[in-house]
Amino acid sequence: MSRSEKLRQRAKELLASKEVAMVIGYCAGSKPGLSQPAFITRPEEAQRLIFDSTCSQNLANYLLKVKNSGKVAVVAKGCDSRSIVVLLQENQIQRENLYILGVGCDGVVQNGAKSVSCLACQYPNPVIYDEMIGDEVEKPAPDPIVAKNDKEFEQLSSAERWQVLSEDISRCIRCYACRQVCPNCYCPVCFVDASMPQLVGRTHNLSDNMAFHIIRALHMAGRCVECGACHRACPMGIDLMRLNRRVARIVRERFDSVAGVDINKPPALTQFNPADPQEFIK
Amino acid sequence: MPEGNEFEPKIVAFLCNWCSYAGADLAGISRMHYPPSIRVIRVPCSGRVDPFFILQALQQGADGVLVSGCHPGDCHYLTGNYVARRRFAVLNDLLEFCGIEPGRVTFAWVSASEGERFAQLVKEVTEKVKGLGPNQKLKKELP
Ligand code: SF4
Ligand code: SF4
Repeated sequence: MSRSEKLRQRAKELLASKEVAMVIGYCAGSKPGLSQPAFITRPEEAQRLIFDSTCSQNLANYLLKVKNSGKVAVVAKGCDSRSIVVLLQENQIQRENLYILGVGCDGVVQNGAKSVSCLACQYPNPVIYDEMIGDEVEKPAPDPIVAKNDKEFEQLSSAERWQVLSEDISRCIRCYACRQVCPNCYCPVCFVDASMPQLVGRTHNLSDNMAFHIIRALHMAGRCVECGACHRACPMGIDLMRLNRRVARIVRERFDSVAGVDINKPPALTQFNPADPQEFIK
Repeated sequence: MPEGNEFEPKIVAFLCNWCSYAGADLAGISRMHYPPSIRVIRVPCSGRVDPFFILQALQQGADGVLVSGCHPGDCHYLTGNYVARRRFAVLNDLLEFCGIEPGRVTFAWVSASEGERFAQLVKEVTEKVKGLGPNQKLKKELP
């Protein structure tokens, strides 16, 4: 039985036995080669489910939206499962209301090429699941080009780095698609929308854009699972993964913590260690 | 006397009520001299300093920012500065990554008894920011 067939069968069984009220997975999109999230509530609809490299959305994003729908099954790749761990750690969802159908992932495609987030992926298999659909996949070697680009960027002078980032980030139109798709952005009032007081200016001049992007990255520090959903959603093609990778590395190197891989280890920025490095403090 | 056209930096200082603000106060009542470059904003704890405050100070025209709280272990709320320290560490590294000059934003621990240290710190920060010149990167030019 192929993986998609197995997925459909299990979804059907889970719905028929009323073990879950809904299965969140993927179905074919509006055009060939595209997929979209599917919210299946009747056993006979389970045959619409698919899983392949076009299934790029991070489905953890929808768990918050259906959290009052009873127990829900969700298809989870490695990064989706890490987002689920973050949501569980932050008490946004209940484990007992969740049935995780784990799938190994060989990377998702965007416009015919492997998504840039997948090039650096170290967690292709779910870190938490109730059952695996199909086999685990082998952990890929990190793409040398990404590492090389990051290194080259970091070797630029301060002024040059600002220049490169400014050119990229000045194109941001503040549509907030990056925030909308992020499974771990869920504040009822986002800092960009706060109006009493207004925290960040809504214009898209460079100053406001930079402030937005720096704070966005900070809010995701220790929580961003590097799924790349924001990067793929950006209509302006802004390289959001450059900031995300950097923040993940800061947290890894400074606090020995990786977001969403260990349910027993709370997110790094909710924690502290009296021995944390503080060489940057006078 | 400095020439009239010498660059005098504007530095916004977020000082914790319990240690650094008291340290600044001590520097004042001890009549220690330090440059008039800082504008003090008193906060209950360094843990209250949202990184956004720092960015907003720079956006609104500060040339430098100083954030100061109690030494680790001395926090009035016991752990406020430890939690803040992690946040500041990420912000500090991220600002550097983005190309904001090191020294534009300074973090320091100053206790209530360290008036002299406070005066010295303000001198150092002022010199550093003078050397960097006016903040142009994050400053918001109002239309
Ligand atoms: S910030 Fe982007 S890469 Fe990180 S978890 Fe959110 S959507 Fe995924
Ligand atoms: S999706 Fe892209 S253009 Fe839209 S707010 Fe995010 S970074 Fe800016």
